[in-house]
Amino acid sequence: MSALLRVTNLGVRFRLRDAVVQAVTDLDLTVRRGELLAVVGESGCGKSVLAHALLGLLPANATVTGYAHLGTVDLLGCGEKRLAREVRGRQIGLVPQSPATALTPVRTGRSLLAETLRAYGRDPGKAGELAADAGLPAADLDRYPFQLSGGMAQRLVTALALAGDPPLLIADEPTTGLDRPLVDHTLDLLRRRCDNGSAVLLITHDLAAAERVADTVAVMYASRIVEHRPAAQVFGRPGHPYTAALLDALPGRAFRPIPGHPPMLTALPSGCAFAARCPRVSEVCGSQPAGDVACHHPIAVPEVVS
Amino acid sequence: MADLLTRRSLRDVTPAVVLGAAALACVAVPLLWPLDQSAVALDRVAQAPSWSHPGGTDDLGRDVLHRGIYGLRVSLLVGIVAALTATVVGGVAGGVAGLLGGWADRVLMRVIDALSALPHLLLGIFIVAMLRPGLGAVILSIALTHWLSTARIVRSELLSLRTRPFIDAAISGGASRARVLTRHLLPHVLPKIALATTLMVPHAVWHETSLSFLGLGLPPHLASLGNMINDGQRSLLTGAWWASIVPGALVVTVTLAIAALAARRRDRLDPRVRAELEL
Amino acid sequence: MIRLVRRRLAVAVPVLLATSMGMFLLGAASPMDPAMQYAGAAAFTASEENLAQIRANWGVDDPLPVQYARWLGNLLRGDLGWSTSRHEAVSEVIAARAGWTLLLVGLTLAVVLVASLLLGAIAAYRRGGLLDRALRATAYAVESMPVFWLALAAIAVFALALGWFPAGGLTDVTAGSASFGDVAHHLALPVAVLAISQAPWFVLFVRDSVAESLREDHVLAARARGLAGRTVLFGHALRTALLPFLTLVGAHLPELVGGSVLVETVFSLPGLGAVSVQAALGSDFPLLAAITLVTTAVVLIANLLTDLAYTAADPRVRVDG
Repeated sequence: MSALLRVTNLGVRFRLRDAVVQAVTDLDLTVRRGELLAVVGESGCGKSVLAHALLGLLPANATVTGYAHLGTVDLLGCGEKRLAREVRGRQIGLVPQSPATALTPVRTGRSLLAETLRAYGRDPGKAGELAADAGLPAADLDRYPFQLSGGMAQRLVTALALAGDPPLLIADEPTTGLDRPLVDHTLDLLRRRCDNGSAVLLITHDLAAAERVADTVAVMYASRIVEHRPAAQVFGRPGHPYTAALLDALPGRAFRPIPGHPPMLTALPSGCAFAARCPRVSEVCGSQPAGDVACHHPIAVPEVVS
Repeated sequence: MADLLTRRSLRDVTPAVVLGAAALACVAVPLLWPLDQSAVALDRVAQAPSWSHPGGTDDLGRDVLHRGIYGLRVSLLVGIVAALTATVVGGVAGGVAGLLGGWADRVLMRVIDALSALPHLLLGIFIVAMLRPGLGAVILSIALTHWLSTARIVRSELLSLRTRPFIDAAISGGASRARVLTRHLLPHVLPKIALATTLMVPHAVWHETSLSFLGLGLPPHLASLGNMINDGQRSLLTGAWWASIVPGALVVTVTLAIAALAARRRDRLDPRVRAELEL
Repeated sequence: MIRLVRRRLAVAVPVLLATSMGMFLLGAASPMDPAMQYAGAAAFTASEENLAQIRANWGVDDPLPVQYARWLGNLLRGDLGWSTSRHEAVSEVIAARAGWTLLLVGLTLAVVLVASLLLGAIAAYRRGGLLDRALRATAYAVESMPVFWLALAAIAVFALALGWFPAGGLTDVTAGSASFGDVAHHLALPVAVLAISQAPWFVLFVRDSVAESLREDHVLAARARGLAGRTVLFGHALRTALLPFLTLVGAHLPELVGGSVLVETVFSLPGLGAVSVQAALGSDFPLLAAITLVTTAVVLIANLLTDLAYTAADPRVRVDG
């Protein structure tokens, strides 16, 4: 199956008054139809920036380099008009990070859904159906966002993201602040979409969630992807020391936190960014590692994937 | 030198330069080129602006720009004095409310509410109408409509001072109330009041100019810019627009410069303090 | 909502009382002798007995609180007093002219609101662009221009030089009655001048409000759904920024009224503003006091209406009551 989304050498820099934030560096990834790729990492490593970069929603002080193609569409180069009219919502759907603030406070869910459907040339009357598919009761559609619980708001933004039935869905931290049953419900919804032929890019810091539904996992650290392998391998035999340490930190496993802090995105070292906290560090780590397991001393060698 | 010409510094420097030029003109012109306000030159009536008369001449042949600078001096002086008077009125009102607290404070708040719903110009007209028209009435009219900001500042300072522990310490240490006020209140409150008064000056000038334009302001012999614009109306209808437009342009330029400078200072304050400065 | 109305009325009544008291005190402090005002030119030849009789009729020598109570009582009964400068009942003066002032102010408010919402929103959308910078520079400049100066300039250019609009009055001198087209033609320039003079505050506020609103999460989310720019701007950013704007409009009304006084004077419109100036020149306390009180009452009512509009527009407030 050919790749639906192909990102090559993506870089995103933000110009601040007296610093430059390196949010994404040398990022490669592919997502195929039917694949659920989980991008995992700690907060502040650049994951959400990736989502916004693909949709052209970065602020004016951002500089984007590299390539990103969705099918034949050049996402980074096609321009705002084409992105707004053809890509956003229709080819790529985004489930935003914080549902409570992502909903316009003075409009009901029904009016938001109807407006979105109309924009895609679909029947605005189908709003009720869409909401039901996402698990949102019809009565809640006529409520305002401040009247919805966290879970209901999450379902509403999911319904909005699916209104255009996009082949690629990007879910940005869709499980934050939700209780277990709702987390499972949301993840199962994403899994179902993949099983029906769509692609999902799941951005999360919740490793358990990724383990539950992901086909492939990309681990991000300090603006780079340090490991990009099938989920079973990542969770079974992690290749990168950072991945191993992340897994060890889980309550279900060794529950051992990683010593130290990730580097500031304004002051990234030229070599491996994890070197300062890595138990396997050596001289050669002063140069930038690359590959599906970006490490000079990987724990496991990446198996060849057909 | 290059960064002097950047857009931001130009925005800061230009109002200061304009104000400087205006101040210089107001001081220098009466010394170097004194004007006889009663002199008319009926042979030079209603001439369009030219090199010899950059503002043209009015319907009595008088040089508009020359009279305009005298008028600017009057308008600015009246504006500044009125703003200072308003500051005193506001300071006293806020001081009484802040010191006495309780009912006095509530009364002050009601009065401020009332004044906020009242059009300033209408109230100003009313005040001038009831008192003997003239310089005093105009100044009082401005003072009684523009004292709100100073009152708010002084009141809130006093109210917050009451809750600060070092005040109690000072008083129990034997300091008199007056000493506490001068050493702790004043240094804190003076810069804010200075800014409030500066922000008031353009409004005071506009208020006086409006009153004079309506014939309710300064007596004609004081010839403020408002009087001149009023006089100039006659010649406007016959096509000699400069007699009223040029004096107005002087008001606009100078008040814009003052307002620009003060606003830049104000915009650097936090919103709560900014809200107190509302006129 | 009822609570809101009650609260507003509770504030309004003392405000009106305080205003009336303040004005009454000023009037009493006035060195003007109401009897001489009333007698007019005849005062100079009237005998002292006649003047004393007039004073007694008017009760001007009664103690102040009595006079105040009498005046207030009359007011509440609908008797607004007698205009000494126009020699007719104050209520008749106001009734005949209030409509024109309301028309001027109402039209201006409508124009200012529509224009500032549109221009401010578009300027915020293209923040830093040409429209934005030009709009802000113009707004700051216009804020410093006295409205009557703008009016005179407008007359010089549009009425005298270009001849597109009349220089004043409400109708043509030759017209027998007020036709819609004639009045509209005459009001075009005054409304435009007053609107431009009052617009800067509104435009700048909308622009700043919408600029901030555009940075909010829900606007980004709307963009992410691929909605058209216009829909995002007006249906999401402006809709949310509109709410605080509504209540602040009410706070800005007094300045609008002040401007209308000057505009009516320059354009010789038969409204309350022009009459107040004449009343002031004639030290006509009853008329001036009545106009000021009525204006204050109208502003307070308008504030109440904008508050109600706010509760109607913001679902968060409406549901809580």
